[in-house]
This record gives sequence, structure tokens and C-alpha cells, in this order.
Amino acid sequence: MIEPTVEDKRITLEEAVKKVHDGAHIAWGGFGYQRPPEAFAMELIRQKKRNLRIYTCGSEHDLDILTGAEVCLEYEVAFFAIEALGLAPNLRRRIKEGKVKFEDYSNLAMALRFLGGALNVPFMPIRHMIGSDMLEKTQLRKDKAKVIDCPFTGNPVVLLPSVQADFGVICAQKADMQGNVQLYGIKGEDNEIVRGSKTTIVCAEEIISNEEIRRAPDLTAIPGLYVDYVVEVPFGSWPMQVYGLYDYDLPHLQMYMQMCKTEEGWQEYMNEWILDVGNHKGLLKKIGAKRLKELRADPEFGY
Amino acid sequence: MVEYTSTEMMAVCGAHAVKDGERVFAGTGLPVLGAMLAKVTHAPNAIIIYEGGNVDTQNKDLALSVADSRLGYRAAASIGLIETLGFLMMGGKVDVGFLGAAQIDEFGNINTSYIGDFDAPKVRLPGSGGGNDIASSAGRIILMFTHDARKFVKKLDYLTSPGHLSGPGSREKLGLIGGGPSLVVTDKCQMDFDPDSKRIRLKSVHPGVTVDWVKENVMFDLSIGKDVPITAEPTKHELEKLRGLDPQGIYLAKGQK
Repeated sequence: MIEPTVEDKRITLEEAVKKVHDGAHIAWGGFGYQRPPEAFAMELIRQKKRNLRIYTCGSEHDLDILTGAEVCLEYEVAFFAIEALGLAPNLRRRIKEGKVKFEDYSNLAMALRFLGGALNVPFMPIRHMIGSDMLEKTQLRKDKAKVIDCPFTGNPVVLLPSVQADFGVICAQKADMQGNVQLYGIKGEDNEIVRGSKTTIVCAEEIISNEEIRRAPDLTAIPGLYVDYVVEVPFGSWPMQVYGLYDYDLPHLQMYMQMCKTEEGWQEYMNEWILDVGNHKGLLKKIGAKRLKELRADPEFGY
Repeated sequence: MVEYTSTEMMAVCGAHAVKDGERVFAGTGLPVLGAMLAKVTHAPNAIIIYEGGNVDTQNKDLALSVADSRLGYRAAASIGLIETLGFLMMGGKVDVGFLGAAQIDEFGNINTSYIGDFDAPKVRLPGSGGGNDIASSAGRIILMFTHDARKFVKKLDYLTSPGHLSGPGSREKLGLIGGGPSLVVTDKCQMDFDPDSKRIRLKSVHPGVTVDWVKENVMFDLSIGKDVPITAEPTKHELEKLRGLDPQGIYLAKGQK
């Protein structure tokens, strides 16, 4: 039998971020505290990327550091705050400075826009957002949404422009070197993001063998044929959480909220936790093995 | 006499609004406690759903985020957003949704996006998240937030999520399938909506709060009936159960005695 070639899509975090050009549009994975691309965001800051536009449902600390560092100041999103802890402090300041532009959608609207991108159709219908100011008030797009009379029923329906971003970036628990991805716990809108973006980067907590993938194909949430690059990034969502692997670092998040009350505090945070550590490995060293171990999930609970 | 805080009172009012067997969409914070309390008291068959993807949860520890791994523990399913806000919510399969608000108007329309002018806002709030989706399609909406006159406005700075819009028939005209807001719970009182005019009205005042106080602490003409009842106090059993759900006081520590 002739053996198929095994493509190795693995690259380093630095290489992956280098592929993102200034001005790129990125569909951003993770949902709330769950599996956000934190390490990817920090490397975007280290490489001083500029003028990005991010599309996502809801993100928190990850987007706030990108806003603070002025890597990304344009957002098409549904939610931007640090749940349970407060409004996003850097965002608050950059908005006061008049630097940030938003296009507000609902969570389902953003997820459907990604689904539309994945299906390669130009728009998706939704029964939500109608009657709200989200339809009329715009800052970034002329074509934010349209209300039409349904050609079949005659009833009003909202049409949303699909998203096919330059890059789709998600975090996952496990992937093989060909980009077959196992996602555990909730999926948010990640399945749609990966299938709809032009270039897809998966940050995997662990690289597993293709044999392990093929032993349980039903666990593959994303077949490798959608994935362009795989990056091995343990603790890639710290200080947030990854189901089954580690919990969020609440004292760190509380410290972040405290420090970022002022611009000086944010600059200090950025220097200490993002720039001075040099790279992701340096960050993990700074957090320390003891703390990382404490954050490790109890397998019975998943957190 | 039982002692309780204003926050505990809110959580208990939220719980009372859930009926057994209902499918409940909860956000994090007090609504979660309300829904969970209902489940451990009078509504054991309530099914709680979180937009992040966890369906029919039985979490042991309290969650900070709607996507918190804690909600995955013993959930019946962990799926995705198109499942929860699409198939379930827009599909018309959710009975009741809990929401917060920074501002509401007399028709229960909700602002969670901007305070001040949209182009140069004083504050950018979190935005819709799933709020607009829930307000559009859940069978009915329960709003929970602490009472502040500046939250009950004649005109919203921004309409994020639809209440009864401009009154009777306006939701139906736009094809919204959900019933809209049915109850507002604050730390001072409960309000509901007149079935004919769809305008907000005072339902009950919490013990120690006067009708006049509420009247002065809303910025529109509040419809007030002749005899406004006093909200029933939480029972000892309810308080025990509630405190057991939040032993560290993550949400409950905030209220006043």
C-alpha cells in the first residue's frame, strides 16, 4: 500500500503572528472566559501589529490588552467587558480618547455572520436586532444590516453581511500536526470561524498524534482540511481558562483591573507581563511552575 | 424575623418568577442565583441554559462567566452558540430569559450599550452580548438590576434590546416571536407591565420601601395602582438554600441589610 504524505502544519507562535499583516481582519475565537487566544494577542502586541479589525461574539481581557496597546481599535462585536469584574478598563480610556470604532451586533448575529462566511453565501437572515438601534447606528460599515420583506412570507427580516476574515484564530485543547482539532467543552462560535476564514491558525494546548485522532474521529470538531497552521501553545489562554485543562487566574485578573485604572498602570502591566518576558515561554516562567500547577484542572470537574 | 440583604431579596424574587419545568436562559450574576434557587426550591425540573453552549446545567460552583468551565460540570450538553441562541432561542424553545440593564424606558426597552451620545459616548457598556437575542425571542423576560432613578429613563440613550418598543402590537409587527418583558426586579420593588398599554407599572414594594420613594426614583410617570402590596419576604428555607449556592458571597456579599 502506498502511504499518504503527512503534512506538518506546525509553526511557532512568533511565525504565526508574523503572517498577520498590518490592517488584517481577524475572526477571533474563544467565548467569554473560555479558550480566548491570549498568547496570540500578547505576541501581536510584541510584534507591534497595527490597524487590525477584529470580529467576534464576546471577548474580554484579550481584546482589552489589544486595545490598550493600540494593536486593534476597530471591532465588530457583540460584547466587550470583563464579566463579573467590570467594564474593560483600556477600552474605556481609548474610547474617551476617541480612538476606537465599533460595529455592534448581537451574539447570534456574529455567529450567523461567521456561518454565512463558512457556507460562502453573502448574507444570513436573522429575526433578532430588528427594532433596536444596532440596525441604524454605525461607525465602520455602510452595509451593517438590512431589513427586507421576506420574499416568501412578506414579513420583515434582517439580513446580515457574512464574514470571511483574512485570518481565523482559535484555541483548542488538542490538535495533530495536520490540523485535525478536538474541542472539549463549549464551542462558542469557533467551529464557524475556522470554516469561514481565509487563513486559519489553531493554537493547541497539546499536539497529539494522527493515530489518536483516527482512533476517535467523532471527537474531531474541525477536520484538518480547514486548518492552515497549528501552533503548540500550552497555557495559551492564560489568564483565562480552558475546559478540562486549567482554570482562570482570578487574582491576576483582579490585579489587571486594578492596574489598568490608569494609563501608567496599563503601561506598567504591558511592560511587566507582555514585553519584558520576551515570549510566551518567558511569560510561563514568570507565572511560575507552582502557580501553573495550582491552576491545573481537577479532572473530575474540568476546572 | 429572618434577616436578609437587598441582594438576597432580588435573587428570591427572580426565583419566584420561574415555574417548574420551564426552560430558562440565564446570564451570570444575580439571574443565575435566581434561576438556580428556583431549581433547588419550587422548580426542580427547570432547565437552565447558558448562551456559551452549556445546556441543562447542574453546576456545583458558581460561575463568573456565561462560558465558565464550572457550568460544564454535570451539564447535559456542551455545544455552541448557534445551538443556544439560534436553535433554542430563535427557534422559540425558551420560556423565560433573565437580563440586566443600564437603562430601561416605560415600555421595558433596554440599553446595555452606550451612555451619552453614540458618537462620543460618556461610557461604552458591554453591548448586547446575547441580550438582544434573548429579548427578541424568549417567551418572557425578567429584568434584574439595582434601583437607581437614572436607570428608569423617558428616552434611552441607545436601544440595545427590544422591550414592548412603542406599545401594543409593535413587537408583532416586526416579527419578534418573544413575549417581551414581564417583570422588573430591583432591590426596592417589583414592576410588571399593563397587558393593554404594555406600560410598566408598580407591582409591589419591598419591606421598608414606600410607594413615594419609588415614584421619585423613576424618571417617567409610573403607573401605580390603588393598593400596592408589600413584596413577600424570603423564607428561612429559601435563604438557607440561596446562601448555600454562593457560600463565598461572590454575588450575595454586595447587598445591604
